[in-house]
Amino acid sequence: VTCREIPFFPPELFEADRKVMLELIREIGTGPDQRFILGEYTREFENLLRNSLGAVDVIACGSGTSALGLVLTAMGIGEGAEVVVPSFGCAPLAASVANLGATPVFADVDPHRMVVDPDDVDRRITDRTKAIMPAHMFSVMADMPRLTEIAQRRGVRLVEDSAVAQGAMLRDVPAGLWGEAGVFSFVQVKSFGMPGEGGAVVTRDAEIGRIVRMLRNHGQDGGQRFLHHRVGYNSRFDEIQAAFQIHRFAGFPARLQRRATIADYYTERFAPLAASGVVPPPPGREGRCYYVYAVLADRRDELKNHLAERGIGSHVYYPVPLPKQPGFASRVTPGDRWPNADRASAKALALPIYPHLTDAQVEYIADAVCEFALT
Amino acid sequence: VALSRAHSDGLELPDPAASKSPDRIPFFSQAETFDRLWSSIADRVNAVFDNGKFSHGRQVAEFERQLAQYTGARYAVGVNSGTDALVLLLRACGLRPGDGVVVPAYSFIATATSVVLAGGRPEFVDIDPVTYGMDPAGAADAVTADSRFVMPVHLFSQMADIAALLDVAEHHDLLVVEDSAEGIGMRRNGRHAGLHGVGGVLSFFPSKTLGAIGDAGAVLTDDPKVAELVSGLRHHGRFAATLDNFPGISTETALPGMNSKMDDIQAAVLSAKLVSLDDDIRRRARLAEAYRRRLGDIPGIVRIPEVVERKTESSAVYYVYLIEVERRDDLVEHLTRLGIGTEKFYPIPLHLQPCFSDLGYRKGDFPNAEAACERAVALPFYPDLRLDQVDRVCAAIREFFTGRTM
Repeated sequence: VTCREIPFFPPELFEADRKVMLELIREIGTGPDQRFILGEYTREFENLLRNSLGAVDVIACGSGTSALGLVLTAMGIGEGAEVVVPSFGCAPLAASVANLGATPVFADVDPHRMVVDPDDVDRRITDRTKAIMPAHMFSVMADMPRLTEIAQRRGVRLVEDSAVAQGAMLRDVPAGLWGEAGVFSFVQVKSFGMPGEGGAVVTRDAEIGRIVRMLRNHGQDGGQRFLHHRVGYNSRFDEIQAAFQIHRFAGFPARLQRRATIADYYTERFAPLAASGVVPPPPGREGRCYYVYAVLADRRDELKNHLAERGIGSHVYYPVPLPKQPGFASRVTPGDRWPNADRASAKALALPIYPHLTDAQVEYIADAVCEFALT
Repeated sequence: VALSRAHSDGLELPDPAASKSPDRIPFFSQAETFDRLWSSIADRVNAVFDNGKFSHGRQVAEFERQLAQYTGARYAVGVNSGTDALVLLLRACGLRPGDGVVVPAYSFIATATSVVLAGGRPEFVDIDPVTYGMDPAGAADAVTADSRFVMPVHLFSQMADIAALLDVAEHHDLLVVEDSAEGIGMRRNGRHAGLHGVGGVLSFFPSKTLGAIGDAGAVLTDDPKVAELVSGLRHHGRFAATLDNFPGISTETALPGMNSKMDDIQAAVLSAKLVSLDDDIRRRARLAEAYRRRLGDIPGIVRIPEVVERKTESSAVYYVYLIEVERRDDLVEHLTRLGIGTEKFYPIPLHLQPCFSDLGYRKGDFPNAEAACERAVALPFYPDLRLDQVDRVCAAIREFFTGRTM
């Protein structure tokens, strides 16, 4: 990768560990136990995460999306229930609710931080609301202290979509443990990504953990096979991936640290650009995890082109707010508005931020953004 | 405190026969096959790393092409599991909340839970005691005003009586969706399992005839609309190009979908194994014949697999070698003690599972399914199994029932 060719989606993500993965595949594929799903490696990986977080339970499953469905199912969310979700974010926030026959109710977001606005969440809670499900967005954790207060005051469940925020801490509580349950995603591009699909439910509630464990493997209790207590899912974890994640776990803090260092540099360089129509995310490390670094740019598409001409990939994550996507638009009240989500969809642009970017590449990217804003 | 907390988990139970004794005979192993294919598998896994997309990527696209070619399906859509494949297929076929889906009472749980997960209601039917497939007369009787689908399951070694079930479906105006999760290689009239109705599924659970080393599955269909819907729904309801295309992750959602993408490493393993699938199927047929010769005259064995003659040409595939015996649980214990792995497929019929207690079925509703659940046991069965191991399994069974090994 040269300075002139910086793709947005990180290339050669696992190159340093390719040989390790090949060895693990061979070892597990030819091993005496012939156990490939939910075996000892998965158990060890879950324990590693549980101990490092101080969670009561961590349950590895098929994906972050599936983890949301498992949590909502375990909480009994279904037909007739409403769940308040952000209007700006990834499709599973709304689909995981809709797939259970419940109704996603969209709340607007904070104009700068792009996470859900607690006041709007509070306003949209009705007597049908069973849960609120804030999501951490790009590099910013949602305002979990206020959302916790709202959930308690209004008597609704609190699900934390922490899929993108593994490793973030807010007031010394890790992302994932603010809610009754949270989720992680390990799809390759995530901060703790891996070469396949996978996710986890993390929880401080033993009963949610117990039910999710059943639900991820066809409603079985882990004791008697082929006895199905609940209508469950197939949302399991592959042993080769668990073994790989165990191997990579020790390097995770350093990779997160490198992401944060790059973000600090970007934010320092971009701070003076606000008057020129490019606004970086707020600085800092508290409640932050630099999975995606997104600026708000008045001339977003021009900036994207400017970067592309200089060989720099960038990405528009959510060009359309969730309530305006065809899959969910039929579920909203006509005339309802989410002005800050509209603004985020029109202005947010994500820049490359993977740990193996060189300092020279990071400087080149920052230079290009500054050059755009200041000319 | 959390450090030392013992907790229950959803892990599968350890194989009771998994003692480290070198002469144990596991219920399932593909270790030798995997080792033999290693250079081909490694080449494909390296190609995945070179390409850099590890799910829903180029290797998955390649495997889908190979699978379509092998099965003759117009469309083969790779997904995360056979269970997800059923849910996606039912949704893509237009299942509406509350629709009835006629399913057999004897199968893996996903046959019926997929119906519930897609928003429908399972309507159970008894099985044919010889083939374990859905009984066509029972299916006709089970149809209600809510019924919109019939879902035959092809279990163990042969397809259900698909011709008769297609007649039932036509008569009652039902769509046929096949749970062909176990059916790779099974054909009727030259047409592969899963392609007799609107569509079918395949599971690549590791012990399957074509098995990954993790979870994976596929939908098979000849219908372009169904294929398009399944393809979109597996990736969050996004209908633009997403396979092997990173930026597709931000395409807007047209329908509330799922994440059910196949891993490229699993596709790599499956591609490597698909090359010798027909050899594996022939090997399985020889092993089934070896079991038949050794088990045919043992008292206490109520049934051994029997592939029935159909009116039109049909090809069987021995995926599971399942026998029915008296004193099944005692026999399993005996074999376990000798280091021989078995599985009870399935100990509880679907209509009596706790998760369906609200549907109002009772013991006695489906006598064939219930009898099979009392007596069925699957024996070690996979291409890597050797004939001397078959000898030992059969001698152990003979010893249990007669007190003699010969």
